[in-house]
Amino acid sequence: MDAAAVPATGKPVLLAGVRVLDLSRVFAGPFATQMLADFGADVIKIERPGVGDESRQQGARIHDAEGREVDFTAPFLSMNRGKRSVAVDIATSEGRDIVRALALQCDVLVENFKVGDLKRHGLDYDSLHAANPRLVYASVTGFGQTGPRAREPGYDLAFQAMSGVMSITGHPDGTPGGGPQRIGYSVSDITAAYHVVIAVLGALYARQAGTCEGQHIDISLLDTQVAAASHVSMGYLATGRQPPRLGAASHFMVPYQPFDCSDAPLIVLCGNDGQFRRLAAALGLAGLADDARFATNPQRLKNRDALVDLIGPVIARRTRADWVAVLTGAGVPCAPINDFEAAFADPQLVHRGMVMERPFGPTGSLRQIANPVRFSETPVRYDRPPPALGEHTDAVCAQWLGISPDRLRELRRSGVL
Amino acid sequence: MTCLSGVRVLDLSRVFSGPWAGQMLADFGADVIKVERPGKGDDVRHQGLRAKDAQGNETRETSSFLAMNRGKRSVTVDMSRPQGQSLIRELAKQCDIVIENFKAGDLARYGLDYAALSAINPRLVYCSISGFGQTGPYRHLPGYDPLFQSMSGLMSITGHADGEPGGGPMRVGFSVGDITAGFYAVSAILAALRQRDVVSGTGQHIDLALLDAQVAAISHVAMMYLVSGEQPPRLGNASPITCPWQSFDCSDGQIVVAVGNDTQFVAFCRVLGLPDLPLDERFATNPLRARNRLALVPQLAAVLATRPVKQWHAEFDAAGVPTGPINGFAEVFADPQIQHREMLMELPHSQIGSVPQVANPVRFSATPIAYGRAAPLLGEHTAEVLRELLQLDDEGVAALRRDKVI
Repeated sequence: MDAAAVPATGKPVLLAGVRVLDLSRVFAGPFATQMLADFGADVIKIERPGVGDESRQQGARIHDAEGREVDFTAPFLSMNRGKRSVAVDIATSEGRDIVRALALQCDVLVENFKVGDLKRHGLDYDSLHAANPRLVYASVTGFGQTGPRAREPGYDLAFQAMSGVMSITGHPDGTPGGGPQRIGYSVSDITAAYHVVIAVLGALYARQAGTCEGQHIDISLLDTQVAAASHVSMGYLATGRQPPRLGAASHFMVPYQPFDCSDAPLIVLCGNDGQFRRLAAALGLAGLADDARFATNPQRLKNRDALVDLIGPVIARRTRADWVAVLTGAGVPCAPINDFEAAFADPQLVHRGMVMERPFGPTGSLRQIANPVRFSETPVRYDRPPPALGEHTDAVCAQWLGISPDRLRELRRSGVL
Repeated sequence: MTCLSGVRVLDLSRVFSGPWAGQMLADFGADVIKVERPGKGDDVRHQGLRAKDAQGNETRETSSFLAMNRGKRSVTVDMSRPQGQSLIRELAKQCDIVIENFKAGDLARYGLDYAALSAINPRLVYCSISGFGQTGPYRHLPGYDPLFQSMSGLMSITGHADGEPGGGPMRVGFSVGDITAGFYAVSAILAALRQRDVVSGTGQHIDLALLDAQVAAISHVAMMYLVSGEQPPRLGNASPITCPWQSFDCSDGQIVVAVGNDTQFVAFCRVLGLPDLPLDERFATNPLRARNRLALVPQLAAVLATRPVKQWHAEFDAAGVPTGPINGFAEVFADPQIQHREMLMELPHSQIGSVPQVANPVRFSATPIAYGRAAPLLGEHTAEVLRELLQLDDEGVAALRRDKVI
């Protein structure tokens, strides 16, 4: 076992010894490599000298304890913990040589350049595979490496729109505010990121099992978002009918939506007929469970409006806190619609440690969302905070490539680093 | 050659999150054995829309089940009976991975929890997916996707702004919480499998909560709250940090515009015939545009409303400005790029004839996805698996069937 595999905690590191070269920017690639870093891989993030990842410039800058602005943004901080930043200009021949030399020592490379861009720099899959056949090389782009739109740039919102997920999100047409709705976070970037992680780990498994050496993985935001719409798009494929936009209600289950209590909305849902029977009893409407219109979910789907009209007024009579207590006691799933303040104050999320605070030089400490995976034997590690631009350039170039301090100074003077 | 050839998965999960993870492993080449309740099976066999066969007759197969269970073998075992429990233990001895999404503690009653199964197969990677996790005050509560959309803060940032028509929190139209948890489950399982084989020789327990997973997925928007203490505004179809990044009305429909950097903004304005806008100091950089959104957006909207979607789209494409139509599913699957990428495919199915499937989006160069089977009929492979893995003979299978164990 390699010494790095057992840190001071006494627990082994999940991806000990796995080295990742991260040539990606903004969201999908960086979110994927952060997950690999959380799992214990050594991730080297290559950034453009002076500028760095575009997400360093997106969103408001954060402030330290004294209220002074520091050079980090929330989007960058949310996707780059655990990495080392190396600033190298790949448009120069020396810079290209450095990145290439690093790639030869890595297991995984993740990039999200436009199709063909890295080929010009000799950093494409074919070039690197020839020199390091064990390299797992993941390309994540808007439209994929092939097809009529392969060369176009693409961003999250366009894929939310093109994949059909906006067409099924939002109020029904003809109602106030009706029309397709954007999902409030970069769901297409994040969904592509999960596929990158899964594909990289699958490819590492195949390599280790001797099935093959390294390989090229081609992930597109459009494809992955289409795949993630899963059972709703399958509803379309099975019938040829576009699923209606139902606001906050569900296509397949009734009741399964928010109801207004006397003071605030509450999501109430029944995952099966037993839960509906308990809901009806808790509402003092026990007869509904034996009513032929409502006894089973298919019947409730047909008679959605009639049912909502019957239970809505009852729920409206009492406060949300009352109903949470009554329905939870009765085994009926329900939940408030949290803003972030309420979400992060929730006792369950507090118990699970989903918001963590770690030391962070520029601000003293930094609150972050934790990785949600809980391993019994190889806990997720958070050893390094998000790096400053180029923070580890010298260390990595010296340790991995044996570049001397004099040469580093020279490369920095000429703008390569 | 597949990614996970030789890997065997015992899938005890139902509905969405676990089956989604199991299907991904099946796509990658693992042998996935889905254990279902005799008679009824997975709950989603009874949810969703019924698929029709080639003659247009409705079959018993539902869209929700068909979407998440391809590539698996279905084995019916009654887990509430001791004989059923011992069959599952025997199967688990021969598996690398167990996926389950029962409420915390349910499987311990049957002797099928991590402690019990790892004792007889220490190499087992055992992934528990639940609404709230194996620990904490809500661990015993059942959980469904909309609860996690609402509790995670996701709904608070989706929908029209308060005060606008239809304003208020909005649910995402697919089960994003389930699917997200499925992705985390697969990631964790594959990493644990590698660690077992390369380093430790033993498996481990993975405890994954839908609530945790959805909170983590919100990523940079949640981070905006954490660093500022301010709830990010709900902006309808616009983004809080990038502008213009939203849908606009054209003369015949809507177009989505996603201008990701200042160069694209210059190109975008040139197409609109507003070449001076980027020179305006209020709009020169993205942070300034985001701040001065209310001054900028109406100027863009006025021009975009004058022409049809297709015409704008062609011009923006030529200029390298990312835009897209808001597709319904008919347009999605007719899109030339989606068709080129073969995201829609068909698998043979004994009841339906041929069943359409959304393909796995991962493209491996060396270990391409190999689709074997469509989603199985309930118990379709019970006898096959018991013969193959447990060496039961016809008599043994018949006896179990008689006793209603399988």
